[in-house]
Amino acid sequence: MPDGLADLLHDAAVLHRFVDFIEEYCKEQERSQTYVDASGLFFQYVEKLAAGIKQELGGEIDRATQFPARLPILRRNILTLKYYLRLLHALIKPAADAHTLTIPAPLIDLAAQQLQKVEGMKGSSVVILLTPEFMYFQRPHTDIKDQARFVESFIPNASFPPKLGFIELPYSQGPSFFTNLAIYHEIGHFVYEELSNFDPPHANFTALKSAMARSLSKVFGQGSKDRQAQAFAGKIIENWTQEIFCDLFAIRLLGPAFSLALVEILGMLGFLSRSASVRFNPTHPASACRFAEHIRLLEADTWLKAIKDIKPEQMKLLEKLAKEPRANYSFYLDDKRRGPDSLMHAFLDVVVPAIRTLACRVTSKAAPVVKRFDRVRRDVEDCLRVGVVPHTTSSSSHDPVSIINSAFCFYLTSLPRVLEEFEGVEAKNDVAKHSLWTKRLEMWTMKAIEDSQIQDRLRRLKGTALWSFLEKKS
Amino acid sequence: MPMDLQDRAQYLSLALFSQKVVSALMEYVDENKNGKLRPSLAEALDSLLQTKRPSVNSQRKVAAFTTYEHLRTLEEVWSARERAEAIRVIRAILRTPKDPKTKRVANRLIDLFSKLQNQALWNFEQPKPVSPKVMTRLCQMA
Repeated sequence: MPDGLADLLHDAAVLHRFVDFIEEYCKEQERSQTYVDASGLFFQYVEKLAAGIKQELGGEIDRATQFPARLPILRRNILTLKYYLRLLHALIKPAADAHTLTIPAPLIDLAAQQLQKVEGMKGSSVVILLTPEFMYFQRPHTDIKDQARFVESFIPNASFPPKLGFIELPYSQGPSFFTNLAIYHEIGHFVYEELSNFDPPHANFTALKSAMARSLSKVFGQGSKDRQAQAFAGKIIENWTQEIFCDLFAIRLLGPAFSLALVEILGMLGFLSRSASVRFNPTHPASACRFAEHIRLLEADTWLKAIKDIKPEQMKLLEKLAKEPRANYSFYLDDKRRGPDSLMHAFLDVVVPAIRTLACRVTSKAAPVVKRFDRVRRDVEDCLRVGVVPHTTSSSSHDPVSIINSAFCFYLTSLPRVLEEFEGVEAKNDVAKHSLWTKRLEMWTMKAIEDSQIQDRLRRLKGTALWSFLEKKS
Repeated sequence: MPMDLQDRAQYLSLALFSQKVVSALMEYVDENKNGKLRPSLAEALDSLLQTKRPSVNSQRKVAAFTTYEHLRTLEEVWSARERAEAIRVIRAILRTPKDPKTKRVANRLIDLFSKLQNQALWNFEQPKPVSPKVMTRLCQMA
């Protein structure tokens, strides 16, 4: 036996056992739980990859026997594959935990439906992951896709499903509704990544990339040789760009409910203090800057006019932060060190206008949604006020975005009154009861969305052969 | 700044990219198969040439060496001379893949990309914060 072959065999056996377990684990989850379609696609990819790796490992041993000089390279290749599986390993368990009983399935379904209507996103789907972190996050899938493409060159039968994204929800927030509206921002990251891979490139995305390049030239000068510093600054601009794009994208799909949910989440995480809210860091623009963009878009889309009579604390805070003068913004590379303000100003002057254009171009116009909201808001509130699931008496259903915005406004302004009505004046300051009624409100809202989706599906069936069949049956 | 999974994933992408090149070269040298050779080397050449151009105006999408993590790893293991050598050898192989001499120099390319793969794996396993040189440069600009 050549020197080192025993080590290679050992490494290969360890990897074999690892992939064998993962393959069986995915199969078992699919047998025992119900998942959204995207999770099934992901599990199937992992199963095919595992089968392919097991087959490939035999080939690597044959090669090592024939060409012993290649042993160190072959061992390194096995290690690289193992690391790739380590990344997938980190996704598999959270995906397995996110079966339909542990996630806000109607909201996820709604988001998936809306995603199909976004320019260039037809056929895309999102795997939900439940994470132990108290943070919403979109796992960048371009890296995984690039890695999968490289892996496919040695494991040919395992193709990563196209247009598949990954979004993490904190496991504690799985069943809740209002805070989970934050997933729309994460879906924005997914869309942004997909846009960056369009072939041919999307015209407005190309314009945005040019703006980003111009902003860097403004700071570093043309043809700078400082490649590493420039690449790092480019990464910062990219991070800021994505954050603003995702906020605007989410507002276009969801309206003010997204902004209000974000205020709640950022407040919980402590990002809305006076000093934190005006500070840019390498991964995020200042919250004040983000909210200024929120207000600008909500105003342009006439949402602000539609909710002008609603002034909960969250709205006041949003407006206050949005008014923060730009001169107060600062950029810190870490806790202590100031970064170049020139980068921040170049971003605000050159890149942000291009982000606004892109966000509006890839999404539908908001005006019809605002009109529908205006029409149904009172109906939804009337239902919630008496403790029933919002519904219509006519054959047409309320649209989900109107239901969400109406319910969110109701939650922020009228919940104490409902509590008093049902539980008595003494329940006004009872935290447990407040929490219970918030949960109820969220459940009614979710049920209303589910009903609306079912009605919508039925409406689409009308006139088809299946509809005639169902009519006969009933 | 904490190193998140995204940054680490970039190092792994570079390791897998290097593995793809090395595997294609090994098939070519050891087994006389060149089915994967041209696409892999063309991708590598394209990526290496991109590092020489000013990136800020570039819209072209290449497989590697466009991110901070890739550039940092590349600069850690390859000298400017080695980078030029890699480009020269790739071009030679692409030009005359059947020439026995090119097979000999292909082994040198295997060494270079193996070194790159090794360092990328090391950086994936032991991620380092942004280089002090870069941070200082940005602080000076503040």
